[in-house]
Amino acid sequence: MNARALRALVRKDLLLELRGREVVPSMAVFVAAAFVLFRFGLGGTDLAGGTRAATGMLWVAIVFTALVGLSRSFAHEREGRTWDGLLAAPVDRALFWAARTCSTFLFLAAVQVVALPAFWLFFLQEHAGPSYPVLVAAVLLADIGIACLGSLLADVGIACLGSLLAGLASSARAREVLLPALYLPFAIPLVLTAVRVTTDTIPPQTGGLETLQRLGFLALYDTVFALLGWALFEYVVED
Amino acid sequence: MPHTARLDRATAATLVAASLMAAAVALIFFYVPSDVDQGYSQRIFYFHVPIALTTYTLFAWGALNAARYLWTGREDLDLKSYVPMHLGVIFGSLTLVTGSIWAHISWGTWWDWGSRELNTFLIIFLFYCAYFMLRFSVEPGARRSRYSAVYALLGVGLIPLSVLAVRIAQDALHPIVFRSNGVNMDGSMFLTFCVALAAMLSLAVSMYLVEMRGKRVDERLAQLRRLAQEAA
Repeated sequence: MNARALRALVRKDLLLELRGREVVPSMAVFVAAAFVLFRFGLGGTDLAGGTRAATGMLWVAIVFTALVGLSRSFAHEREGRTWDGLLAAPVDRALFWAARTCSTFLFLAAVQVVALPAFWLFFLQEHAGPSYPVLVAAVLLADIGIACLGSLLADVGIACLGSLLAGLASSARAREVLLPALYLPFAIPLVLTAVRVTTDTIPPQTGGLETLQRLGFLALYDTVFALLGWALFEYVVED
Repeated sequence: MPHTARLDRATAATLVAASLMAAAVALIFFYVPSDVDQGYSQRIFYFHVPIALTTYTLFAWGALNAARYLWTGREDLDLKSYVPMHLGVIFGSLTLVTGSIWAHISWGTWWDWGSRELNTFLIIFLFYCAYFMLRFSVEPGARRSRYSAVYALLGVGLIPLSVLAVRIAQDALHPIVFRSNGVNMDGSMFLTFCVALAAMLSLAVSMYLVEMRGKRVDERLAQLRRLAQEAA
């Protein structure tokens, strides 16, 4: 029963995205523009700091791109007033979180299918880059973590809109700032580890055992926030 | 209600905190010997570390009450979760300031990105600030209490992960310039440290009691206002 409901919910998110093309294209444009900015920020023609600095920038871009997508998460349900209909469905509330996590993960992965080749094109083709299997593994693990936590916080952020403190101007301001402010402290340990795991595989360094340890940390991060997201989501949705 | 001269809990806790604090300051400046390596400036350790431990304690306390709030739905627990978090920000800022001063004196830099403790604390501090942002952008009520509690509990996941992340992200080659582990302390240093820790913790308790009392008075005042308006 649960698997069927989950599939239906994920399918609904994907169909909405396929028809509306709202989240993924804007994320893709954002990340491409961010890469160009970073390229110029790192000195334009000569890449200052080499591929090491560029790989660090990649992780910053991944986090901010995810925020762009997350800020639209749940917006459909709230704006189209379909949330109450969803809540009336006779399924566990945590399933909404699980479905949103799956679709957010798929959106992030879809954007990275475009972003990673662009990143290689802009930054990595001149010098030795990080190990690609490690990079892809770290990106996927990070995506899971971002999706687990992000779908919970995105709902908090969106739900706050209904009850923001007085004044139109101030509530519009808070809407844009709240989700990043809530999310970014949680991104710090993720980025800290992900940067090390990828930059440490740039030759002449080889990573070695520490790479596994750090990938393990990313998996632990995912597990912790998956459990917390599952347990806490029912307190976020309204009764 | 007639005013009684009975010593209430907040006043008692404040008196205990004040006397312990006086004892700690006296011990730190007049009793404990200077550190062999760092000299006089190492005495900031007796402020910095107890303040940091108090911040962690306050956070754990706030998170525990947040969990109890979600579990039981009792309204007073929301305030009991918020006040420790609020005090945690104050103690957290003090930790960052004292840590920064200490770093400046012993490492010659205001901030050392290689220091585990400072960096972990920075993450925790940012988390605390975000908690406030959430709390102050939502209308007071059950919804605000729920969101604050959920966010506080997410911090229970974040803090150990930050400690771990800062630890494993470090180079194996990075020289640990100096460590302040309690195992190497001699008796007089350990005594001073314990008194300073007790002083900080009792200060936090008394601040908690005073703030809770203030909030309750606020609440009663609002109730009385409502009643007066209804009567008028």
